[in-house]
Amino acid sequence: MSDNPLSRRHFVGAMATGIAATWIAGAWGHAITRARGGVAPLTPALSPAELRDLDAITALIIPTDDVPGAREAHVVDFIDKGLATFAADQRPLFEQGLADLAVRAARRHPGAQTFADLPVDDQIALLHELEAEHSEFFEAARISTITGFLADPRYGGNADKIGWKVIGFEDRFAWQPPFGWYDRDASRSE
Amino acid sequence: MHHGANNRHFDPGAPTGPAYKPSEVVDFVVVGAGAAGGVVARELSRAGFRVVLLEQGPYLRAGDFDHDEFATVQLEAITNNHQSQPNTFRASEQEQGKVKAVVQYARLIGGGSVHFTANYWRFHEIDFVERTRRGPVDGADMADWPITYADLEPYYSRVEWEVGVSGLAGASPFDPPRSRPYPVPPLPIKSTGVLTERAAKKLGWHAFPAPMAILSQPYRGRPACIQCGFCERFGCEVGAKSSSLASMIPDAEATGRCQIRPFSYVRKIELDRRGRAIGVKYFDKAKREVFQRARAVFVCANGAETPRLLLMSGTNRFPHGLANSSGMVGRHLMFNCYAFAGGRFEHEINGYRGMVVTRVIHDTYELDPALGFAGGGGFDFRFDFTPIAFGLDGLGVDGPRWGPQYKQVLRDAYTRTVYALAHVSQLPVATNSISLDPTVKDAWGLPAIRMTFKEHPNDERLIAWFRARCVDLLDAAGATRTWTFPVGRAFPEVHLLGTCRMGDDPQTSVVDRWHRTHDVPNLFLVDGSSFVTGGRGQPTMTIQALAFRASEHAAAMARRGELGAG
Repeated sequence: MSDNPLSRRHFVGAMATGIAATWIAGAWGHAITRARGGVAPLTPALSPAELRDLDAITALIIPTDDVPGAREAHVVDFIDKGLATFAADQRPLFEQGLADLAVRAARRHPGAQTFADLPVDDQIALLHELEAEHSEFFEAARISTITGFLADPRYGGNADKIGWKVIGFEDRFAWQPPFGWYDRDASRSE
Repeated sequence: MHHGANNRHFDPGAPTGPAYKPSEVVDFVVVGAGAAGGVVARELSRAGFRVVLLEQGPYLRAGDFDHDEFATVQLEAITNNHQSQPNTFRASEQEQGKVKAVVQYARLIGGGSVHFTANYWRFHEIDFVERTRRGPVDGADMADWPITYADLEPYYSRVEWEVGVSGLAGASPFDPPRSRPYPVPPLPIKSTGVLTERAAKKLGWHAFPAPMAILSQPYRGRPACIQCGFCERFGCEVGAKSSSLASMIPDAEATGRCQIRPFSYVRKIELDRRGRAIGVKYFDKAKREVFQRARAVFVCANGAETPRLLLMSGTNRFPHGLANSSGMVGRHLMFNCYAFAGGRFEHEINGYRGMVVTRVIHDTYELDPALGFAGGGGFDFRFDFTPIAFGLDGLGVDGPRWGPQYKQVLRDAYTRTVYALAHVSQLPVATNSISLDPTVKDAWGLPAIRMTFKEHPNDERLIAWFRARCVDLLDAAGATRTWTFPVGRAFPEVHLLGTCRMGDDPQTSVVDRWHRTHDVPNLFLVDGSSFVTGGRGQPTMTIQALAFRASEHAAAMARRGELGAG
């Protein structure tokens, strides 16, 4: 049987069974309370230097163009909060991944102390390198960036609903016809 | 919405209704408060019986539901939690199961009817007699149901009128006969529906207003849908979705005879020496064991948990599990198959706005025998991607995964993408099953659900055929680009069917035509597990029709003193 995480049942399936599952893993109930802000994050999970590198990664995954990207949406805050609370078990993965990235940065560019110090082209090349190696850290960073960009702002990312605006999702939660271009006449005649 | 504030005083862990003592012998204990259990508890309590309804999840009210995708979907807020309740999977009986999230169900009062999309198709006549009409299939256990469409028709009408279903009688030329029209008209059409109509017309097919368990108008004290767009995988915050929670549970409570106990996780059905059920043992919220006595037991725990409970209830007398003299408990697991394709369109569709489905096509419900395969299916167009799901998995297999191109697709695609989705038959195969994992346990120390599953070749051929038709439909609708996915199964599955098959022969089935187990005269099972064949998707309507029918019969038996020792 082919096991296709991208097929239907689809997104739910992928989230619950893939690497995403380990990233979002948390105790039943506990995670929800924490995630919904019932319990404040204990302390930030990552150091300022780590946060700077992680922010640079998120900004490459969902870059800023003529509209805002992951950086403006404060995705790094979402991930940091997650690592301090409902995704605390993922903290070593991120810490080791970022440390490894700093080593690679220094190797690529003598004098570079951190990933964030690298020229953008080098940063992009390094991420491609990780992706080609099927790096678990890269996949976790990618999934958490996208998740933080599009999750409810209460979790710390998607600041000012930037992510939702980028994709065209309006959080009105109550609609009436016409819903889209193709039903503009149908709804009038009904 | 302000319902949240209004509902704050409800404790999701508190029982409601009369305070029966566990030692008190109530008339019925019902295990599972979902689509079937809600109906059974309502019908039996309205018939005058004392009922205890047990549910492993919380008792949330409409005001507790919101549109928080991260909590609801990614963090499994209202579904079974795979960390505390692991599943295992294997493709054949020779293998050892490996931990994998393969079964998903809503774990709260109302069950799957709380978070379903609410498509309410009746089964057609063919679904009950496919074995006779179309003959056997190698490697599958096709069998006729012991009941026909005509037997179930009055109960389909009852479901439509009692829970509240929107639709238009006679709109589909393929609809089976019906005794009553729908109680409320269809919901308004969306762009996805207009495109379905356009595609059907080009292919010479018929698109008709989708029958939905969502209210288009106020009905029986409940409000009409506000078109929030968060039906699939979410609870309805106004109670317009006709879940058991919104439609059945309040009626059961109003009788004053039904006690609802959330956070009650049943581990065993107890028998007396004569082999009659005398009640169930369960863990309460504090994981303390409680034994609730009853004259008769109804299990409505879904197609995975129902067989699991029977298998966990084995005794010296029933070494292979309760009600399993046939060896059929857990076997013939089916999910329904899906085929789909994605399409991009020139203008805005905004499929995320409003209820998910507005038009359906049933021209392929029964296929030309010349095609050479069993089963059939139906179609709808939908865009059921919430934002995070879309960002992670909505861009297609070959779509960009990060960087500027990824961002560009994110910007372009969300409002202009639609999926053609086919809901397709899956054949019953004896070796596809739910069983107890011999080593993996859940957080209560109970054996994990182990799934053994491999598609029948007919399933794969059917999916491939329907997938090609999905592309045809999107092309006919005017898509500027279409894409498909490899044929394959993406777990976890949510339609859990066939595992305690209904039949007249005790050697080949678990329950009789009235849902009474062949082996234990006061033990009834009704949910997806009763299905003999899986239909063409959309099982909940049929689950509820069966539940109304089973309840009516059990009530009559109880009145005649045919149940329980008392």
